[in-house]
Amino acid sequence: MATVEPVKIILDGKEVVTTKGTTVIKAAADSGVAIPHYCYHPKLSIAGNCRMCLIEIEKMPKLQIACNTQVAEGMSVLTESPKVLAVRKAVMEFLLINHPVDCPICDQAGECQLQNYYMEHNREASRFEVGKVHDRKKTIFGPNVIFDGERCIKCTRCVRFCQEITKTDELAVVNRGDHSTIALFDEAVLDNPLSANVVDICPVGALTDRDFRFKVRVWYLEKTPSICPGCSTGCNISVEAYQNKIARFKPRVNEAVNSHWICDEGRYCFHDLAGGERLTTPMIRQEGGLVPTTWDQALLTVCTGLGAAKPLAAILSGRNTNEEAFLFAKMIKQFSADAALEVFYQARALTTTQKILMSPDRSPNFRGAREMGVGSNGGGFNALMQKLAAGSYSAAFVVGEELIGANGESEKIRGALEKLAFLVVQDTRMTETAKLAHVVLPAAHFGEKEGTYTNRAGRVQRLNAAVIAPEGALQDSEIFLRLLDSAGAAQAHATPAEVFAAITREVAAYQNLEYDSIGALGTELASGGGAVS
Amino acid sequence: MEKLLLRNIGVSGSHTLATYQSRGGYASWRKVVDRMRPEQLIDEVKASGLRGRGGAGFPTGMKWSFVPKDNPKPKYLVCNADESEPGTFKDRLLIEQDPHAIIEGTLIAAFAIQSHTAFIYIRGELVFGTERLERAAEEAYRAGLIGKNIFGSGYDLELIVHRGAGAYICGEETALLSSLEGGRGWPKVKPPFPATHGLFGCPTVVNNVETLAALPWIIERGAAAYASMGTEKSKGTKLFSVSGHITRPGVYEVEMGYPFKKFLDEDCGGVANGKKLKGVIPGGGSMPVLKPEEIEKVNLDYESVAAAGSLLGSGGVIVMDESTCMVRAAANIARFYAHESCGQCSPCREGCHWMEKIFQRIEHGEGQKSDLDLILNISGNIMGNTICPFGDAAAMPAAAFIRKYRDEFEAHIAEQRCTVSR
Repeated sequence: MATVEPVKIILDGKEVVTTKGTTVIKAAADSGVAIPHYCYHPKLSIAGNCRMCLIEIEKMPKLQIACNTQVAEGMSVLTESPKVLAVRKAVMEFLLINHPVDCPICDQAGECQLQNYYMEHNREASRFEVGKVHDRKKTIFGPNVIFDGERCIKCTRCVRFCQEITKTDELAVVNRGDHSTIALFDEAVLDNPLSANVVDICPVGALTDRDFRFKVRVWYLEKTPSICPGCSTGCNISVEAYQNKIARFKPRVNEAVNSHWICDEGRYCFHDLAGGERLTTPMIRQEGGLVPTTWDQALLTVCTGLGAAKPLAAILSGRNTNEEAFLFAKMIKQFSADAALEVFYQARALTTTQKILMSPDRSPNFRGAREMGVGSNGGGFNALMQKLAAGSYSAAFVVGEELIGANGESEKIRGALEKLAFLVVQDTRMTETAKLAHVVLPAAHFGEKEGTYTNRAGRVQRLNAAVIAPEGALQDSEIFLRLLDSAGAAQAHATPAEVFAAITREVAAYQNLEYDSIGALGTELASGGGAVS
Repeated sequence: MEKLLLRNIGVSGSHTLATYQSRGGYASWRKVVDRMRPEQLIDEVKASGLRGRGGAGFPTGMKWSFVPKDNPKPKYLVCNADESEPGTFKDRLLIEQDPHAIIEGTLIAAFAIQSHTAFIYIRGELVFGTERLERAAEEAYRAGLIGKNIFGSGYDLELIVHRGAGAYICGEETALLSSLEGGRGWPKVKPPFPATHGLFGCPTVVNNVETLAALPWIIERGAAAYASMGTEKSKGTKLFSVSGHITRPGVYEVEMGYPFKKFLDEDCGGVANGKKLKGVIPGGGSMPVLKPEEIEKVNLDYESVAAAGSLLGSGGVIVMDESTCMVRAAANIARFYAHESCGQCSPCREGCHWMEKIFQRIEHGEGQKSDLDLILNISGNIMGNTICPFGDAAAMPAAAFIRKYRDEFEAHIAEQRCTVSR
């Protein structure tokens, strides 16, 4: 590594120590001074086109852009001088003269840098009365992204994202002067696996999310930091909900995992994982089909059934938390010490662009669940499925996953499940698998629970409840705890924090961790990286 | 005065290699390759005092010396033949009538920075000029003046004539490089500068046609001979393209420091048709207009014109007589810059069009009293705040027209029509 040379600058009269090669905008940000900007993005090349970050540097006749100016020893930077404030006001005016100012119908309103900086740096009535330039409205760029040319300030963040991050080059600037606009290359569609990130980095309302558009004003959203349940990368996200419904996922910056980005598959996976009609009543099979029952009756039936029918296969979802996995393993072993116990696993091949963020393994907590002891006697998930299809088990406990169709052989699995003496399905929705169950237990989904996930690389990260589970559905952990209780193995720990504490006592790799100090960005296992195969 | 730059103009067949060589052409190139070291050549040009003729007037030898010698990347020399400044047509004359002088100058400059690939980037509209340059390059290649192992020296140099697509902004050196790279003709943010990170990220020097065309003479006669002409800081001679209401429009070569008034009245025959002078733009459309009283004591050199409040620029002299409507002239210039703004950075993209729209409104009798201060304010907000000098080029003339002919603008607004009798 190159040596880091310290450089001292004077920022608005205060000494700031930074390092050689740092730009003024970054040095300022690091010391808590936010220099307004549009085109600058820490992960993209310097464009220098918005001119919003112009600052004054002592002994330099012209204002300089903070994004492209490297610090120098003794450099005195003024970020709030009269000249700087005047130019910010001027740039804001320039950016707004041809803007439609259609905030009431713009999805970006509330999180728009034009709005924010206008309030901070301009606050004047428009002096422009000579006819705005019109541009294309609602232009579809791709399956997830729609463009409004009139709102665009040509910062080119989206163009640079597609050039530099995904390297897919779908977008370009076309035309000249105030008719400059962003456009797709001929025949191109903005459908790369990370396409919707351009919406996140668009500082204005030019690029909006076709999925989220017109659903809810952003100021009504309740934002919960959490982890994407889409795959085992464990991207940090903000789950944003309105009226107890997940409205969107947004990436949360975590340089150790996902930087500033999330993939489109993860971004929209909540529709599948949290959507659909929820199960809210436990059901048991009687002559003629599944009928509603009480939790007590359902759990009693599970206890009786699991006690009688063996051998038992138990499959846990990779979206279950470490705490749930820990309790599940204990619970299953309580009923059947030699039960086949595996985490659902489904991998796929990825393209180069997908590999930027996505993991082959769709289960966000596959590694964690296995480390909690879910992964024994089955020979791996695929082997267990083969044995299940071959009729090797007489009972099964399936949590949170659709088995029919999971490995391509839906009819074989369906036939095998139909022949089971006893099948428990614990899920959020009435799946094809659940329809064959003897007992169906309604559960909470990833967005309704708290706990931890361990990603592919061995990073333990906190999942938080963004919405409340419907009445009648229980947390997976509560179901496991009640079954443990019924089986005569009542646990002293109940909350995720308490279960995690038990994990740190019993699972060696987790022994140095503390639930409350995992932090918003997660913490690495002492045993370190390396994916669990 | 002896003509340096125009010495071959008007000679029959001046564009051919045979004629050029019969008049001593390529002797300087031979001298450079045979007998000079690059540092020696740079020192010679530094000593001559030659300054960039594209408009900025930056010392040429110094520009060359910024190219790092220890950089392992290839180095490029680019001749900027994208002459597009309104009122400027001096390079075009050289391109069409004396292409070999440009090529010889380009080769000499390339040698100075030890470049092995040189480009001539020519304005898209100059179709005839492109043909002439291409043919001249072909002739020079065939004569062994360009190519591998020139004059048996072991020095290789390729020359590529590249025709642009006709954007004014591509005359700005970093936009030119973007265009030459095959990209959109957008100026690049500086630093880094072309001397270290130019064409394809390699050390690059961009020199104007007229600058390069002066090199063969300087090498032939020596730096001292060149430096003996002109003023203390503005050496040698300069081309001026004179247009507008003038008796003898055309391209003139003038020793630096020549009196402006004398130049217009005597050399160019004065304002056409005996009319009175109303204003003159000394350095191409982007430079502030000067009123008759302001040019009384101005000489044609960088310092004197700057002291008068304008700039020598490209030497594009636009003469306007008393019948000129300054509102219309300003609107016309504003329209050009609005049309040519590349659109990359906010102040220029938005501001140029905004100014143009207000000028047009005034011109069409719909102006408001507050419009003049508004334009001055907009131009002030553009000045110095853009990626490249284009913003200044649009802002300077707009402000100058209003400041200097404010009465006429106010009358135009009040009367809602043009008040200049024609």
